[in-house]
Amino acid sequence: MSLGWLVILPILLPLSGAALGLLLRKFARLQFSLSLVAMLAALAASIGLLLYTFNESPVVVQIGQWPAPAGITLVGDLLSAFMVVMSQTVLSTGLLYAVACRDKCVHYPAFYPLFLILAAGLTGSFLTGDLFNLFVFAELMVISGALLTASADDRFGVEAAYKYFYISLLASVFLLLACGALYASYGTLNIADLARRIQASPHLPMTQISMALLLAFFMVKSAVVPFHFWQPDFHAAAPTAVSAMLSSVIVKLGIYGFLRMTSLLFLEQAGLIRSTLIVLGCVGVLLGGFSAIGANHLKRMLAYSTIGQIGFILVGIGWGTPLSLAAALVFAFNHSLIKSAMLMLAGAMASRATVKSAAFNVLEGIGKASPLAGGLFLVGGIALAGVPPTNGFISKLVLFKSGLEVQAFAALAVIGAASVLSLIYVLRAFMRIWWEMPPSGVKTKPDGDRLIAPALLVSGCVVFGLWSEPLISLSMRIVNWMGEPGRYIQAVFGG
Amino acid sequence: MNLLTALAIGVLFGVGIFQLLRRNVIRSVMGLVLVSNAMNLFLLSMSAYNGEVAAYAGSSGQISDPTPQALALTAIVISMGGFAFVLAMLYIISVRYRSSDSDHIQELKH
Repeated sequence: MSLGWLVILPILLPLSGAALGLLLRKFARLQFSLSLVAMLAALAASIGLLLYTFNESPVVVQIGQWPAPAGITLVGDLLSAFMVVMSQTVLSTGLLYAVACRDKCVHYPAFYPLFLILAAGLTGSFLTGDLFNLFVFAELMVISGALLTASADDRFGVEAAYKYFYISLLASVFLLLACGALYASYGTLNIADLARRIQASPHLPMTQISMALLLAFFMVKSAVVPFHFWQPDFHAAAPTAVSAMLSSVIVKLGIYGFLRMTSLLFLEQAGLIRSTLIVLGCVGVLLGGFSAIGANHLKRMLAYSTIGQIGFILVGIGWGTPLSLAAALVFAFNHSLIKSAMLMLAGAMASRATVKSAAFNVLEGIGKASPLAGGLFLVGGIALAGVPPTNGFISKLVLFKSGLEVQAFAALAVIGAASVLSLIYVLRAFMRIWWEMPPSGVKTKPDGDRLIAPALLVSGCVVFGLWSEPLISLSMRIVNWMGEPGRYIQAVFGG
Repeated sequence: MNLLTALAIGVLFGVGIFQLLRRNVIRSVMGLVLVSNAMNLFLLSMSAYNGEVAAYAGSSGQISDPTPQALALTAIVISMGGFAFVLAMLYIISVRYRSSDSDHIQELKH
């Protein structure tokens, strides 16, 4: 049992769980238990990876023993291990939500296998050390995500899945063009090897072009502003268990990509990327906030809010100081917990309405019958807006402090104003669903989706708000690690 | 030959992007197919003219670089699956709306 398994298992376990799950499609309970066991085992393996990389160098696996630039490399370093632990934690709660929900689509025999493939694709994209392999894993993630959405109970599921899949195929074209351009210029696709060679000759004619293409790919993945139009439609129509994953952890793939691009691949052009990210982040924060205020559908409002929250993270990456990068990581982690909990609560309320929809005019006053969901929504909502004692407050505190350090007052003013917007839309949603009296004649179903998964996530929000020190120090350590790209390259080439 | 490949890639990209921007959703998917094929050619052209013989084990002479060929092969397989799926979804959508004009397909927005 070598250490390499720590990197392979988080990808392999969900994939093999999916294959076994398809064989067990006749036995629904068994299939679910198997999926949950595979997911939790993968989470355990990735926590092991995080603990190992915390003190030691990264774990590098050369698949099939082919040495680094020739074969495919999997690299579990501190940054990717953190991202994997974050996403697999949320994905496990997504499975818990799916089993206790009233959607018809979770009873389809392929639901849990597809969910696991989604998990494997996301994990693989974080752990891979090869640009083309990133394309393969990202495509795995996109196809399973689109299939899960197309199978939704919502009658517009297919339309939403079509939009997402179309734009993702276009993004894959961007990534492949970047692969081709980089291969023509540098003769390699291994990320560590590319980083080494780009550092040696950073101004070849195709370097900037491939940088722009790669940036466009990650922007589509994260729904950064000029590439965001598909996102609210898609996230609002997906089944709740899936949309909670899409809007919280799947969009973090782009964040991971921006961090890798600025800290490893394009060191020479990092300034250009960062200033682009600050501008797009500020636009996204405002656009997401105002659109969320204008939305008349709860899930759509939360999807717009994701555009805004991703903007905060981009501004953090854009400032580029160690503290602001750590703030971006803390923000990404906390946002995953908050947004998945909020979307699950939105879905749970929709399942209690007589017409299954998350539109505000359907949900008005529905919450009177379920005060527990209201309490959870309020705590999650103030976490989204950044009010203590929740983790959203901590992430905004660290971000604003890092902004004061670099004296970026214009950007600070924009994101400060946008924070107020998030308080407005969250409280408005709370008032309409839990505070106002239901219009006469409207009935509520006695019960709907269970609240176990969102309760777990919201309690996580409070715990990380009151006891945030470990998360911040972990992020600072990750930033220290990212500051030395030489060690990453050295680890891949085994020196 | 080099120029011919470059021209082919350029024409495919141009036609593909023109179709991609059309209002008819079926045309726009066809545009995407053309663009992704142009991209496969682009990947292949990275190494097509560097060597003379295919890279079998033990072949003599100047061997062409097999990596872009492997990349193009993988990309073709993945895009084939993807486009089959897109066309299936498009079928459902166009049957539901009885139209393939993207201006008519917007009930999701409401």
